[in-house]
Amino acid sequence: MVDRPAVVAEDLHKTFGKKVKALAGVSFEVQPGTVLGLLGPNGAGKTTSVNVLTTLLRPDSGRAEVAGVDVVADPAEVRRRIGLAGQYAAVDEMLTGRENLTLVGRLNHLSSADTKRRAAELLDRFALTDAGDRPAKTYSGGMRRRLDLAAALVARPPVLFLDEPTTGLDPRSRLGLWGVIEDLVRDGTTLLLTTQYLEEADRLADRISVIDHGRVIAEGTSSELKSRLGAAVVEVVMEDDDRAEEVRRLLGDRMEASREDETVRVPAPDGTATLATVVRALDDAGLQARGLQLREPSLDDVFLELTGKPADEDALTQHEKEASS
Amino acid sequence: MSTTTTPARSEAGGSSLVWALRDTQAMATRNLRRLLRQPEQIVFNLVSPIMFVLLFRYVFGGAIQGLEDLDYVNYLIPGIAVQTVLFSAGVTGFALAEDMQKGFVDRLRSLPMARSAVFGGRVYADSINNAVGLAILVATGFAVGFRPNDPFGLLLAMLLLLLFALAVSLGYALIGLTVRSAEAVNAATFPLIFPLTFASSAFVPVETMPDWLQGFATHQPVSVVINAARSLILGDDVTAAQRELLLAGQDTTSLVLQALAWTVGIAVIFGLLCTRKYRALVK
Repeated sequence: MVDRPAVVAEDLHKTFGKKVKALAGVSFEVQPGTVLGLLGPNGAGKTTSVNVLTTLLRPDSGRAEVAGVDVVADPAEVRRRIGLAGQYAAVDEMLTGRENLTLVGRLNHLSSADTKRRAAELLDRFALTDAGDRPAKTYSGGMRRRLDLAAALVARPPVLFLDEPTTGLDPRSRLGLWGVIEDLVRDGTTLLLTTQYLEEADRLADRISVIDHGRVIAEGTSSELKSRLGAAVVEVVMEDDDRAEEVRRLLGDRMEASREDETVRVPAPDGTATLATVVRALDDAGLQARGLQLREPSLDDVFLELTGKPADEDALTQHEKEASS
Repeated sequence: MSTTTTPARSEAGGSSLVWALRDTQAMATRNLRRLLRQPEQIVFNLVSPIMFVLLFRYVFGGAIQGLEDLDYVNYLIPGIAVQTVLFSAGVTGFALAEDMQKGFVDRLRSLPMARSAVFGGRVYADSINNAVGLAILVATGFAVGFRPNDPFGLLLAMLLLLLFALAVSLGYALIGLTVRSAEAVNAATFPLIFPLTFASSAFVPVETMPDWLQGFATHQPVSVVINAARSLILGDDVTAAQRELLLAGQDTTSLVLQALAWTVGIAVIFGLLCTRKYRALVK
């Protein structure tokens, strides 16, 4: 059986006011049971895309479908099939963790018994049981995000949207939340994840759509995107420029070595095999390297290559904020 | 299709109206819980009507003229009652603004709940808050000499005031949805609510105001509602002269009908505007 995509976005356009083009023809698909990472800087159109797919915003044009349901034609039905956790951790701070989950369960029209069971289950799963009867305002940032994520899962939605789930978290909380999300994914939840962290997309997503200025500018698996920059590189760092020049000549034209100060770079299409060759050549010549590593291109490199600017540039922050408020 | 695993919802057993009511109940419970956990809010709700009663009864009361021998405390309590609900109706706007600002409304909008429950649960909870405020006010009134002639009339007057508060709440709700911060709701409503409350028959007889103000102060909706409540509470014990000067010369039925007309009118207009505003969030 061929599954229909769980999420389809097709040529979505959305303009705020007269000038702010949040989406300029975004298209992507998420296959059932997989994770799509929507990767882009602030203001790229990530939140607007999520808002369109979760029925919070109507697109100006284009088509969007979630779990087989058109978001414009039948938004109410879409809302029965999705869970959304946004970047602001929309939990009620005055309510306890358990009350937050119970409220969402009731508003999802679960039975009272099911709501109660589900709340206890999720508190347990997200290590919030001890804090479950404390108001959410006493929670740390990481706990709030976990509660927000739990709230999105109360009704066991087949499709989950996480809009920048770890933005603003400290590294330890981020790692914790990644673990939680990885568990979800293992259970077969279809997930659309937006992030401005390349590492996050790399780690969690099966496929990545790079989005910038309201358009998808690249799409593929993490390794496909990386291979667009060519293969990995072996870097040899020597004591000084003279030694480095010696190494460059040694590896020479045969390996297309190049030198920058005391560092020699050799393209490594064969990965570790190339590394081994380099090590042997150095050994044979009796040269001692100060540093030696095989460097794979990071998604940071990909982003810089695709957009001509680093991924954390905040040029359009204000627009994205307006778009999402 | 494998993406549509059966969600564990129990929607089979109920019409959409039943679900709308259940959603409203769930939202109201949440709103009341929030209220109970904000002690400063509760203290304000308790203390503010008591202070106003004491202030006007003992500080300003002696200087108030033109009462045609009506005991001032009996004149005052219906006025302060309207002022109390007008001010505490603001909670509706502040709370909605906060929910908008913190993204909570977005969460609600992503749920399969009845959209009307966002407002329904709000005014439901705020009406209970208003009812408690009114009860405290009347109790304080009794303690300082308030003696309604018609207890049944007092009950009807309280109901009328709660309905009026509900209508005004929807006005606050519209502003709360629009400006998105409690401070801004205050800034936007204060210049309107303040003159409506004080340039009215709430605290002093309109007859004692300058001529240019009397027309407005007599016929503006807050005065109409105050006069209706006052007429219900005073019952048959009002002399012709008192009615002429203090109740715009109109009988209870006429005043109550006018008050209801204003209430329904305000509720319908702001209710529709709120619905439109909420729907437009999607744009």
